[in-house]
Amino acid sequence: MYLDPVLMIALPLFAAFLIPPLARISKGLVKYVPVLIIGFNLYEMVMLLPHSMVKPVIVVIAAWAPPLGINLTIGPLGNILALIISLVGFVVAIYNIRFMEEEPNEKYHMLFLLLTAGATGMVLTGDIFNMFVFLEITSISSYALTAFLRDRDGAEAAFKYLLIGSLASTFILLGIALIYATTGTLNMAQIAVRIKDVDPRIAIMALILLVTGFGIEAEMFPLNGWAPDAYSQAPTPIGAAFGGIVVKAGVYALARLVYTIFDFQGIFHFILIAGIITLLIAEMSAIRQKQLKRMLAFSSIGQMGLVLIALGLATTRGVEGGLFQMFNHAMIKPLLFLSAGYLVFYSGSKNIEDMDGMGRVKPLLSFFFAFGAFAILGLPPLSGFWSKFIILSETIRNGFIAIAALALFGSIIEAVYYLRVVGRLYFKAPHEGLHVQYVPKSALVAMGILAIITLIAGLYPDFVMVYLKPAAAELLDKTVYIKSVLMAGL
Amino acid sequence: MIYYIAAISLILIGIYAVLVKKNMVKIVLGLTLIDSGVNILIVSLGYIQGKTAPIFSNPTLTAQDMVDPVPQALVLTAIVIGVAVTALALSIVIRIYDHHKTLNINKIRELKW
Repeated sequence: MYLDPVLMIALPLFAAFLIPPLARISKGLVKYVPVLIIGFNLYEMVMLLPHSMVKPVIVVIAAWAPPLGINLTIGPLGNILALIISLVGFVVAIYNIRFMEEEPNEKYHMLFLLLTAGATGMVLTGDIFNMFVFLEITSISSYALTAFLRDRDGAEAAFKYLLIGSLASTFILLGIALIYATTGTLNMAQIAVRIKDVDPRIAIMALILLVTGFGIEAEMFPLNGWAPDAYSQAPTPIGAAFGGIVVKAGVYALARLVYTIFDFQGIFHFILIAGIITLLIAEMSAIRQKQLKRMLAFSSIGQMGLVLIALGLATTRGVEGGLFQMFNHAMIKPLLFLSAGYLVFYSGSKNIEDMDGMGRVKPLLSFFFAFGAFAILGLPPLSGFWSKFIILSETIRNGFIAIAALALFGSIIEAVYYLRVVGRLYFKAPHEGLHVQYVPKSALVAMGILAIITLIAGLYPDFVMVYLKPAAAELLDKTVYIKSVLMAGL
Repeated sequence: MIYYIAAISLILIGIYAVLVKKNMVKIVLGLTLIDSGVNILIVSLGYIQGKTAPIFSNPTLTAQDMVDPVPQALVLTAIVIGVAVTALALSIVIRIYDHHKTLNINKIRELKW
């Protein structure tokens, strides 16, 4: 039993702007609002899952049937991604309960709610301009959250992110203008039908503009300069949200563009090559980092490179592996960020060298970090193994042996820098004078949820794959998507 | 045609400012120039010579006499977004200036790869 899916976007937006007046009445109440609202989104997405797996749920807004009105298209892919976004958002909101105690915390919770609402809207909407608007909601709140801590590096990272981000949105807007001028529609399904009749030179121009724009959010190689700064200078839960929410929405937009809207085979090789370059550059930069959160940020870019490789293969099993990798990354990277946040907080330093011996001082916290590190490396019983295995075997099966070899090389580098940190946590003597306090229960609950999901997904990968198969099928066969959207109007 | 040329030259001037200028306020100005250029471009895509605004202001008007309303709606949204981004950018610039006492981006390079 689910309520109107429009509420998943309307309710967070409404609640976000309700937070400042609510804070006037009661300061303590504000921090539970995101938990409640995103919890509702999570419930909706779980309830919608059995429906959308059978056939896409089309939500007609204000009785304007598609292609004229803006509609929500909740297919398997959109549903899975919205579920991931709500899940990460929910966990981070739980973590936030005790994290952001200092003023002005109501603004923090408001921006976080806007960020989740924007990302959810991006993966659910069926209208390309609407997607742009939701992208802007997401990115404007990301800029503000990056600068939230009021220190000098935060402002600098936010300025860099804002500069790249608003150039990206300009490119996207130009691409949308080209598409509208040639096809006369903004509905993604109808664009997909009409793009065949468009002059291929203009279509390629629009595709390049849009891929560049969304590639910035998806951390594609030359466009990801913002990521390490924004991840490491933003408050820790926001770093987790970037990895689990913002980037996922960007990759979704990219996948929707190259698979559903445009019909242009050459782009897949481009994405494949961009993916492997992203992976290698990111892993090599990660190993040079001295700060823990910067290292995690580069590792996040590397994981996205792996997803891009999988999407560039454009085979059923490859796309399934890519989606599984996205799911794993969305669970594991927030786990790493959330535990690293407290490790950094207790050691009083952002540097990896100062993490020595935290495994003895804070066993549970270090366990979560080590667990996340092993899972993301792909140690066999954990979930990271399955997705990497699927992607790499599929790469080899398609004859891209050099790319598979390079990706494996990247994985070895990844193992080196993660195990270096885990080794320091457990096998070095702790520093003197650590001001260790207890970790709040809410933070441990948040990390526990993520760790349990990672464990279950690793032990029973088929449990996740059952839902990813229809999602991959939706990307590879666009006729179902187009038909279900355009038939909704009749 | 003149609109397209104007819009594209605005976009190019903006990109030039963003890439070349060292003063952060000028970079933000470049961003707003790009924004305006794109907005003019989109509006002129929907403009048809000799047609009127898409409002049924007198009963003799039909849909054939009007310009395309969709780009205008898009631009209205894009303008609002542009204002929000510019305001946020300027407030971040103010914060950076508070910390560094300079607007020259070459002197503020603590976060490098």
